[in-house]
Order: sequence, then structure tokens, then C-alpha cells
Amino acid sequence: MISPVKVWRRQKEIRKILGKKGKVLIWTKIFTPGSDFKKYAPYPVVLVELENKEKIYGQLVDYEEKDLKIGKDVISILRKVRSSTDEGVIAYGVKFKPLK
Amino acid sequence: MSNVIGYYTTQFGELWEKSLFDLVEETIFGVLKQTNLENKQIDAVFFGNMLAGVLENNLHSTSKIAEILKINIPIFRAEAACASGGAAFNLAKSYLDSNNNKNVLVIGAEKMTDYSPEEAITALSAAASGEEQEAGLTFPGLYGMMANYYLEKYHYTEKNLAYVSVKNHFHGSLNEKAHFRKKITIKDVLQSPYVAYPLKVLDSSPISDGAAAVILTNNYDMIKKQKHSAIVLASEVITDTISLKERKNLDEILATKMAADVAFKKAKINRRDIGIAEVHDCFSIAEILAMEDLGFWKKGTGGQKIMEESTMFGGGGNLVVNTSGGLKAAGHPVGATGIKQIGEIFLQLTKQAEKRQVENAKYGLAHNVGGSGGTAVVTILGV
Repeated sequence: MISPVKVWRRQKEIRKILGKKGKVLIWTKIFTPGSDFKKYAPYPVVLVELENKEKIYGQLVDYEEKDLKIGKDVISILRKVRSSTDEGVIAYGVKFKPLK
Repeated sequence: MSNVIGYYTTQFGELWEKSLFDLVEETIFGVLKQTNLENKQIDAVFFGNMLAGVLENNLHSTSKIAEILKINIPIFRAEAACASGGAAFNLAKSYLDSNNNKNVLVIGAEKMTDYSPEEAITALSAAASGEEQEAGLTFPGLYGMMANYYLEKYHYTEKNLAYVSVKNHFHGSLNEKAHFRKKITIKDVLQSPYVAYPLKVLDSSPISDGAAAVILTNNYDMIKKQKHSAIVLASEVITDTISLKERKNLDEILATKMAADVAFKKAKINRRDIGIAEVHDCFSIAEILAMEDLGFWKKGTGGQKIMEESTMFGGGGNLVVNTSGGLKAAGHPVGATGIKQIGEIFLQLTKQAEKRQVENAKYGLAHNVGGSGGTAVVTILGV
């Protein structure tokens, strides 16, 4: 269960990893998601290694099929990450978009 | 030394008429009947189950089992995602290692098809890291990442992976208890829709209901009385990071490698002594990684090796893999899987595997994985 408190606690961490550049280490594209992600499917998920070597997962947005490749340069951005909870709290988190 | 003396499994599949504890009850009385044991001869029970708490708000299953068995003994539940069954077996063996002359019942069960696929997928995702869940990474997604990486690194295609599913469906056609009894072709696999690129529906194990049970004993009089028995030569559990991203190598499951190394050392046998194996093929890529990480195939060669079909029943190889149909065709009721794997090895070693009986196997190995590799259990049996 996603409690609003959990969303609040997580969001304090997210600002530290926004606007960071990195490279795609691996990727997949999800066609059969869990309940909270149904409306986004199909969506690609990438594992990115940031310039400081930190590794972060996120969905890739604003992409074209050619961007789905190992080594692609991307940047982390803030996006809504799940459907709203029953309490109406919007869960924001990290996604990535391709860099030219 | 502990011996497996009996095995019972329910049908695996979409069993809408049956609840989780209907399935548990069927296996308990099924395996007691097979071994001619009475409920009061059971000294402890270990139960592998992952999802009843998450999906059904159903915990304290140990007490429910006491109610079914009508006895007052120690009963424990083990949870290690899809390795819950293997973990329960390992705990049962450890229990026997420190208690003489005892009979232990090990049950694995899962009820999954009462829920929509999205609900089941969400519940299964509980076994991934919080960050993986937040990114919308499902288990097909995590294995999809590993598959994508493997195919790129070693220059294979989706066709290489498809051979796993074709083999396991053929085996499933020979197993009456399997969820799927239908043979499939490479073309069927390649034309099935994507679940998580590059994995497709026919690369993936299904959402299933089912339960399985074995009886383990270290009571020598009991072993002598039984028609069938197999010795547990090793049972090893190794854990690793829950997050795929924290692992050094994305084309291996380190926990499998480590568990296998310890298990072979303890069993005092070599890889080539194993005639029969049940490996954790939750997805086609997982069987290829398992064969490499268990040390049967060299890293990176699995994509080629699987196309030779030597691990297929009747394929002429020295090692036949997943005669039950594996998770792919026998089905994957997650808590039951680890017990079904050990049960299949028991059936094979004691010549009870009927249409899919492999000749001359003296040693067998079962390999059960939790999550994307956060837990691995390797069990070796011998006769």
C-alpha cells in the first residue's frame, strides 16, 4: 500500500537526483504493468548510470524508438510516477528523457 | 542424513473451485497417504507461500495448517518470493539436522488466479526494491532487462531464447499435473505478444494456482519401510541484493553460482554426475542464465547450447532439464514451485516419472530463485 507519508518521505530524496545526465546501461519496455501503471503502458524503463556513477531506474519519456539503446545519453526529470492514491496524493518521481 | 520419502502435487492451473487451503489440504492428505503416515507421525511442518498476506489478507497460515492437520506441533512459514518453497525445504532440512528421528512435512502453495493479472503483477512486485517498483518495473521487466543485456552482449536473438519454451512445453505435454499440456513451436513463441521487451508471452511462466508437498525424514526405520526414498545430499540458500542495479554483473545470478558451488562441494559430486535438473525458468532467459550459473554451461554459450536440444527429454544428452515442464509449462504457483521442483527430481530418481522418465539418473538438482536473483536455493538429491 502506498501511504501519503511514504510518498512525502520519498519526495524529499528526489530533488537531489533531478537534472542529472547519464547513460542508459540497460532497458526494457513494459507491455503488461501492475495496477498503478496501467495507463502509461507500454512504457520503456531504463537503468541509467549518472556521471557520478550512481545508478538510477526510471521510465523513459518523450522518446523515439531509436532512443531505446544501451549507451543513450539521457537526463533525469520530475514526473508523476503512479496513478493517484485513494487519498488523492500525487506521487512524483524521477523519469528520464533522451538528450540529442 | 535426511531423505525425501514421498511427494504429492495438486493439478497446477487456474483452479477457480479451490481456495489456497483447499489446495494445501489436498497435498497434506495426498502425501500422507502416499507414505502411509498418519497426521500424528508428523513432527513439524514448513510452509512456503508468498502472496496470501498481500493478496488475500491471509496470514498466520501456520495455525490454519494446524487446524487442517488436527495436531499441535511447530509449524513455520517461509517467504522468499518465488523461492519460498525452496527456502521452506532448506529450513526443514536444517530442522532435521538438529533433531533426530523426526518426520517433517514441507508444503508449498499459492493461489493467484482469483485476482486480475494487474493485481497479481502488483503483488509479485512486492518482491522487488522500492525504487524498481516506483519505476514501474515488473518481474518480466527486470528479466527483460537481463535478457536484453545478454542478447546484446553475446550476439544472440529472441529465437535463441524461444528454444527454452519449446522444450519445456514439450515436457509439460508429458506431465498430467502441468498447467499447459500443449506443445508449441519456435514460430508460436516468436509471434506471441511482448510482455516486457524482448520477452514475450511464450517466454514467460504463467500465473497459476497449485500446491505441492514432500515428506522429509531422518528416521531410519521409517526410510526402510518406504517404497521410495532419495537422499538429500545438499540444500543451500544464498541471498544477494534485492535490486538488480546493485549487482556487479547483469548477465549472471551470483546467488545461484554461490549456492551451486557450496551444494556441489557438500554433496561431493561433480556437475557431470547430475542426470536430471529442475531449474528456475520463470522466463526463458532465466533457464539459460541458470544453466550457466549452475556451472553446466560456460558463461555466454547458453544461447547456442539451448538450440542443440541436448537437455530435452529424448534429446540424447546426459542431463535433461525441467522434465516437469518447468515453471513455463508446469505453471508457477510461486510458493509451490520450489517443492514441485524437488518433487520432480524425487519422482525421476525413484523411477516414478512415467512418460517422462529419464533413464539412469543417480543424482538430480533443483534450483529455485526468488525475485530477480535476491535469493537462490540449490538442492541436490541422490539415490
